[in-house]
Amino acid sequence: MNTLISSITPNIPWGIDVPNYFWFTGSSAAAFIISSFAHVFGMERYKPIAGFSLLMAFVLLVAAPLNLIDDLKQPGRVLNFFMYGWENFGTSPMKWGVILLMAYPVLIFFEAIYIYRPYFVKKMATLSGVSHTFYGLLTLGRMGMSQEDFDKDHRVGKLLGIIGIPLALCVHGYTGYILGVVHANALWHTPLMPILFLASAMVSGTGFLIVIIPIFQKFFTSMGSVNHDTMVDLAKLLALFIVIDLVIRFLWLTFAMPFNGEEKYLVYAFFELNFHEVLYVEYLLCLIIPMIVGFSALRNNFIVLYCAGILSVVGVWLFRWNTVIGGQSIPKSAPGFLHYSPDIFSQSSIVSIFSNWGILIALVCFILVIFPWDEEMVESYSKRVNHGK
Amino acid sequence: MSEKNSRRSFLRQGFGIAALSGLAATSASALSLQNPGRDAGEMRYVGDKNKHLVMVMDLRKCIGCQACTAACKVENKVPTSQYRTFVLETEIGEFPDVRKGFLPQLCNHCDNPSCVSVCPTGATFKRKDGVVVVDNTICWGCGYCLSACPYDKRYFNTKTKTADKCNFCVQRVDQGLLPACVETCVGGARVFGDMNDKTSEVYHLLHTFSTTVLKPEQGNKPQVFYIGLDNKINELLNSTQSLDDMVKKHDGIHAEWSKTLIKEM
Ligand code: SF4
Ligand code: SF4
Repeated sequence: MNTLISSITPNIPWGIDVPNYFWFTGSSAAAFIISSFAHVFGMERYKPIAGFSLLMAFVLLVAAPLNLIDDLKQPGRVLNFFMYGWENFGTSPMKWGVILLMAYPVLIFFEAIYIYRPYFVKKMATLSGVSHTFYGLLTLGRMGMSQEDFDKDHRVGKLLGIIGIPLALCVHGYTGYILGVVHANALWHTPLMPILFLASAMVSGTGFLIVIIPIFQKFFTSMGSVNHDTMVDLAKLLALFIVIDLVIRFLWLTFAMPFNGEEKYLVYAFFELNFHEVLYVEYLLCLIIPMIVGFSALRNNFIVLYCAGILSVVGVWLFRWNTVIGGQSIPKSAPGFLHYSPDIFSQSSIVSIFSNWGILIALVCFILVIFPWDEEMVESYSKRVNHGK
Repeated sequence: MSEKNSRRSFLRQGFGIAALSGLAATSASALSLQNPGRDAGEMRYVGDKNKHLVMVMDLRKCIGCQACTAACKVENKVPTSQYRTFVLETEIGEFPDVRKGFLPQLCNHCDNPSCVSVCPTGATFKRKDGVVVVDNTICWGCGYCLSACPYDKRYFNTKTKTADKCNFCVQRVDQGLLPACVETCVGGARVFGDMNDKTSEVYHLLHTFSTTVLKPEQGNKPQVFYIGLDNKINELLNSTQSLDDMVKKHDGIHAEWSKTLIKEM
């Protein structure tokens, strides 16, 4: 028997902000992709929620980087990032990731204002003074309401959507890349990490829409009720994305454990330590059950589906936590797994996370007040009904 | 006055951010591939390009006295509960076939340092003489290097709030002195010098003894070499519990990150 008598407890850099950040960017990417089903691929069934999803993608991505800044030990030195160290551009995913992170919300914003332009013009007619000017700015000075103008809105919106799809995939893919390149960490070091992150992001993003759309449809549109077809469509999507996620996780875990080299011992030890939490909570409760709901008639029961949505959102958050925090708990130079419990106050603490969610909710309200998403949603539903007839 | 200055510099920084985000013209000279100190070619940033500084640890001579740990803390003003170097103390085997094992550890000043390539600000870099250093006036404390080091040899300095680690005492070495830990090592286990100098002790040791490095499979090419490293210590790193941590747990000492004990193998 060999025993360690003394060592130090290593310092671990990333706290609770980081899994939260990953959750936000992932869900944003997923919301964007779902909006692109309609805007780029012309899938009519997603048309009514496409504009709303796009706006959600925007707010999630505006709120996300605040987590990163909060996790910095020297947040006042943000400028240094832009000034120095460009020789590491190719080797530091953090370097190019932040550039993507800045470009992506700008693109979504422009896509959104093109898509909503006709509504801004209509709204301007009812307003005066500052609000009038404000919406005038959002139209970028294009006031035309002819079919030609609409076609142009559509064309530009679609083009931005086409550019946006790879950008959305990269913005979230890079977060997986950041972890995947770290060969020092047995849990993270796999080329599957970016894809794994994307797959689970599609799950959390769809879950997020399942949770948030009913609230807004019921209480903030003239429809006054939740559209059943939309919920069923989202449920099917959710189930499909969970299948993809599970397949990739299967590949990941099999290559990381039974068929791995030396690293497998640490990964085994890690999952042994967290076995029940991972199997019963993360997999069974938060993935398998929502998948069953999505594939079965259970999805027609609103309450059941809504709970499945919540579970998938929570499950992916836990997966982010288990990956980021769990990965760092693996010992590198001194025996024994590390244990992390976030502070209540301070940087990267429980309060930071709640504040960040608070900011997200505030942004959601703000953006939904500005954008006439409700009109667009109701109009799309009525068009769909007319088409159906 | 100083308050005024700091306000002014704050304003200046604010304007800087505005200038960048507003896509206003930023003079190209403000952007750097590296960082200002390296661009200016300052000695403490570049080192002597003719040297290749390494350390050899002769484990047969280490007695686990932790004099190096203490000397390093004093020399480098390392904050309480943080360490740039320390000596892992282990017990190998079972009575009566038992012995103590020691493993002095510090930054390996890797030839291919994974901590450097991921740094987004260029704050950490390798000097021409091989020493990997951190410029704590540039580092924004993102922690990527801490994650990327396979040896856990970086920490966030609680005073400077930046990444910190062993720098081979370059402040001494550049003056022709030895690193504090080497100077103080009672057993003579730590040997430091220039590999390019064929008369140096490190050159002699590396060519006349079999040496090894920690975790060679990581591909970092560490430049701290061990004579007499027992593989049992390597295996131990992944498996057993630390008596230190058991005591901490018993005494109810908890930090934000603390250790969980795992099953013994
Ligand atoms: S030991 Fe770690 S901190 Fe030191 S150079 Fe190698 S990778 Fe970097
Ligand atoms: S913590 Fe500092 S030195 Fe380390 S990667 Fe970030 S900016 Fe670079």
